[in-house]
Amino acid sequence: MISYKNVNKWYGELHVLNSINLEVEKGEVIVVCGPSGSGKSTLIRCINRLEPIQEGELVVDGMAVHDKKTNMTKIRAEIGFVFQSFNLYPHMTALENTTIAPLKVRGFNKAEAEKLGREMLTRVGLADRIDHYPAQLSGGQQQRVAIARGLTMKPKIMLFDEPTSALDPEMIHEVLDVMRDLAKEGMTMMAVTHEMGFAREVASRVVFMDEGKIIEIAPPNDFFTNPQTDRGKYFLQSILTH
Amino acid sequence: MLEGFNFRIIWEYMPLYMQCFAATLWLSGLSLFGAVVVGIIACAMRLSQSRILRSIAGVYIETIRSTPLLAQLYFFYFGLPSMGIMLPEWLTGVIALTLNSGAYYAEIIRAGIQAIDFGQIEAGIASGLSYIQRMRFIILPQALGNTIRPMLGQAIILVKDSSLLSLISIMELTRAGQVLTSERFTPAEGFLTTAAFYLIIYYMLKAFSGWSEKRLIFREAH
Repeated sequence: MISYKNVNKWYGELHVLNSINLEVEKGEVIVVCGPSGSGKSTLIRCINRLEPIQEGELVVDGMAVHDKKTNMTKIRAEIGFVFQSFNLYPHMTALENTTIAPLKVRGFNKAEAEKLGREMLTRVGLADRIDHYPAQLSGGQQQRVAIARGLTMKPKIMLFDEPTSALDPEMIHEVLDVMRDLAKEGMTMMAVTHEMGFAREVASRVVFMDEGKIIEIAPPNDFFTNPQTDRGKYFLQSILTH
Repeated sequence: MLEGFNFRIIWEYMPLYMQCFAATLWLSGLSLFGAVVVGIIACAMRLSQSRILRSIAGVYIETIRSTPLLAQLYFFYFGLPSMGIMLPEWLTGVIALTLNSGAYYAEIIRAGIQAIDFGQIEAGIASGLSYIQRMRFIILPQALGNTIRPMLGQAIILVKDSSLLSLISIMELTRAGQVLTSERFTPAEGFLTTAAFYLIIYYMLKAFSGWSEKRLIFREAH
């Protein structure tokens, strides 16, 4: 579904993605973790070319993202992206936030799009907040609207970039619950997160990154109980004992 | 103070004033519409990826903002015909006002756009919306809502600047005051009446901006 072959990216001098190789199968849930600045956000932002890669091949759902000639609109429509800071459109209601892309990118008619929007908002537990504006919603609710916004595109892949990092502790679980349900329904997902409970429960594999490189790839139980590298051990100690 | 004030003569010239009031309204209205369009285009060019478009917009905006409107007006009125381009006076006036205010609108709209959090633009990109769609549905509705007040300020300046068109013998409100003054030697009556009509336009604009602000600004959003 997502295939990185020797992917490299630099910000000036900084080698932010260093020879990345990774194959993500359909239905897999990949949790990406690592210290800040390790390139984990960049890793998933490349998938829909929010950041272009400079070297290597990145193929998503059979389409070559590394190729400048590829029509990204088509790929982007198949990928839901959830940001750390929600990034909802403040001048639109929750429902309008979820229907704008289906209407304008997928070409659905208004009735179809709204039906779908309602359905997805209901699915994330916000049936009673459909006509609210983002500023009238809590952080956790806003993030769930953002997830619903991704889901109304009927995506094949959902990407999450630290979806709970900007949330109060008691709101984190409501977002994780939604993500957990999605994972269990077989959605292909990549999530940058330090929610290790979530990773243990639903991740197919954990990708551990440092300084732009993938250091370890392992099923969560193996990674958490028996990391193969010193860097991984040190990282786990520091997040588990904080 | 008003004992010597000749109201009868104002009444006598009222048809002229009404005609000139209408002229100021449509000249300014047309220029305002043109200026907002030019402003959006110049702003889009200034924020574009292309270095050439960026420089063209930059030169246009800076030239206009650093030179007096009267000089620009005279350039269009005297300069263009000498280069072989003959335009009717009213069109010369509208072009000068449009290009002048357009530069200011470009900067006002740019400020409104740059105030929008980049994350929203990324969200738009990520969901597959095109540049035009992001502008149309995400950025401009917010940018225009945020900038109603400075836009109104610029509209008022444009209406007042339209008085300069009297200098290229277009019949508008200031010209009406000049006519009354020169025909009847009553400058106080002439220009006070002119001023009163500008005040009416100001209140019309203010009412419009209040109404559109209610429609465009999303109080819930802030």
